[in-house]
Amino acid sequence: MSTADWQIMLTAALVATACGLLGPFLVLRRVALLGDAVSHAVLPGIVVVFLIFETRAPLPVIGGAAVFAVLCVLLIDALRSTGLVKADAAIGLVFPALFSLGVLGVQQWTANIHLDLDATIYGEIAFVPLQPWVIAGVELPRAAWELLVVVAADLLLVVALWKELKLTSFDPEFARTVRIAPALLSRVLLVAVAITAVTAFESVGAILVVTLLIVPAATARLLTDRLWATVALAVAVGWVSALGGYGVAVELDASIAGAMGLVAAVCFVVAFAGRRVLERRGSPA
Amino acid sequence: MDRLIDLIPLPYTDAVVALGALVLGVVAGVLGVVAVLRERSLVGDALSHAALPGVCVAFLLTGVKEAGGLLAGAACAGIVAAVCIVLIERGGRIRSDAAIGVVLSSAFSLGIVLLTAISNRHDADQAGLERYLFGQAAGLSEHDVVVTGALGLAGLLLVAVGFRALKTALFDADYAAAAGLPVRALDVGMTALLVIAVVVGVRMVGAILMVAMLVSPAVAARQLTDRLSRLLPLAGVLGAAIGVAGALLSAREELPTGPTIVLVGFAVVVASIAFAPGRGVLWSAAQLRRDRRRALVESVLVDLATALEAGPPPTEAELCDLSPRPPRELRRGVRALDRAGLLGRDGDRLRLTEAGAAAARRQLARRDEWSLWLEHGWRLRLPDAREPDPRDLERSIGPEAMAELRALAR
Repeated sequence: MSTADWQIMLTAALVATACGLLGPFLVLRRVALLGDAVSHAVLPGIVVVFLIFETRAPLPVIGGAAVFAVLCVLLIDALRSTGLVKADAAIGLVFPALFSLGVLGVQQWTANIHLDLDATIYGEIAFVPLQPWVIAGVELPRAAWELLVVVAADLLLVVALWKELKLTSFDPEFARTVRIAPALLSRVLLVAVAITAVTAFESVGAILVVTLLIVPAATARLLTDRLWATVALAVAVGWVSALGGYGVAVELDASIAGAMGLVAAVCFVVAFAGRRVLERRGSPA
Repeated sequence: MDRLIDLIPLPYTDAVVALGALVLGVVAGVLGVVAVLRERSLVGDALSHAALPGVCVAFLLTGVKEAGGLLAGAACAGIVAAVCIVLIERGGRIRSDAAIGVVLSSAFSLGIVLLTAISNRHDADQAGLERYLFGQAAGLSEHDVVVTGALGLAGLLLVAVGFRALKTALFDADYAAAAGLPVRALDVGMTALLVIAVVVGVRMVGAILMVAMLVSPAVAARQLTDRLSRLLPLAGVLGAAIGVAGALLSAREELPTGPTIVLVGFAVVVASIAFAPGRGVLWSAAQLRRDRRRALVESVLVDLATALEAGPPPTEAELCDLSPRPPRELRRGVRALDRAGLLGRDGDRLRLTEAGAAAARRQLARRDEWSLWLEHGWRLRLPDAREPDPRDLERSIGPEAMAELRALAR
């Protein structure tokens, strides 16, 4: 295996770790599609950065995108907390509106300039090794360094707020009575998802992040009832998808992100079928 | 058809777009209600992503980029995706949002892999295949409008015929199944219609707009009524209004059609959530303020009456000491009583006017009634088990029950 292979696999595994840490909480809170929503809602942020700073450099773009990603999740949270709109409908209202703002911006002000959205925010994991950064004598791709920071932050968040996140995910009413603010924790979690997603989009592309946020977490939900086991399994399924998917992609000469997503889907199907078989056997015939 | 378009006082293209937006608005509005009430709002997102592998397979099979074949592929893939979503939900462990997400990401991953497989064959004809389904807002033909209209009519007919079963299935699926209603057939029928509407709609307006067209009219209409029989037509009307308003606005300001419609829809939803009578955010806030104020005024009234009973008329400061309420609140209550003409002043001493004394007596009587209810209420035989309103017991349980309660207490 070449250095490039290792670097791509490392980057994918880092994305899988970050997504596996946060995904189970999204699935429990019925906002599994938040990653997909954020992937569309960041468009106006990119347009604004491009208009003001006239740049497509990665760091300002991540910054602008992150602002709108956070705006998107906070709007969804605010709509949901009125009690008049369910979480899924709130997502379906907010992200098309933000995306539309972005499209209007592109058509009104940047018509003469080439702003290829696919290339600007939706990175391609195959190109990750092309931008090496040397920090403290270690050479890793830029994306890997960024993701290392994100994974560390997510891990810190989940470990530090484990009890609170667990309680507010399962029983927000009880959490309120023991003075843990469910609304605040929900916002902290959603903002963490927004930042993680934006950083990961820029390096590996949107669809891989959306997939790794949902599918490993859903697979883990099929296999266990315990929260810590769900998170651990979600990270593990994410790693299997990342490493296995890369092997498949090299073998078939196919899209890396697509192959990783397919391996994750296969994991889900196996878990789903296995559960059905066990349930059949377990129930008295 | 031509005559209909001639009737609209707009240039030909704008008229077609407005008519298309109207038809799609009605169809998406009505079908969207079903999706939103089942917490499957984002099913349109999943179906439009699932179209990608469908288009790829259709292209691999036929080898040509021809609209009919690709559309059929997209529709088949949509139906497969919808069946997968329903199956995963039926498994019982994964809820609708995660089921939709799993199908969306799996289908799109498959689509990307198929795309790379197609491009690896060095087939020059494949360029732009992925763009076939996404973000084509402008190119709308009369043909599209007619197809959508026919489809919409079929959908509305199904909804009208199956209304009773649909209603039961939406609000209590288990009961509907137990009562022998064709729940599964209905679910399959509605999902199939949704798939076809999404596939046609995505061609017309793009994937993201389709999500918004399904969700916004349903959510806005839901704020205005609690009855399904009014919700469905209202969502259809709102969908049409949002579509036409967006189309006209975009034609006048020369803005892209799809995003303008989405933003008009979002504005309508925000307005309905804020202002909906009896339910909206502002309405609830005003109601809460009125309730709090009323409770404060009533309790300050009782405090003052109690103080007058016990001794000489108190000053405001003395009343503050007697009352358990924080002084600032109490002073606000006193001011409100003064404005209502229930309070008189002798120098800085407070007393009740005649109206005030009567109001205080009524209030104390109500408190006594509530104590009676707490003590003897369980012996009453009431027609329903709801807890009565402590602010007005007599109105909640009726005069006869009230008389019975008084008799029991004696």
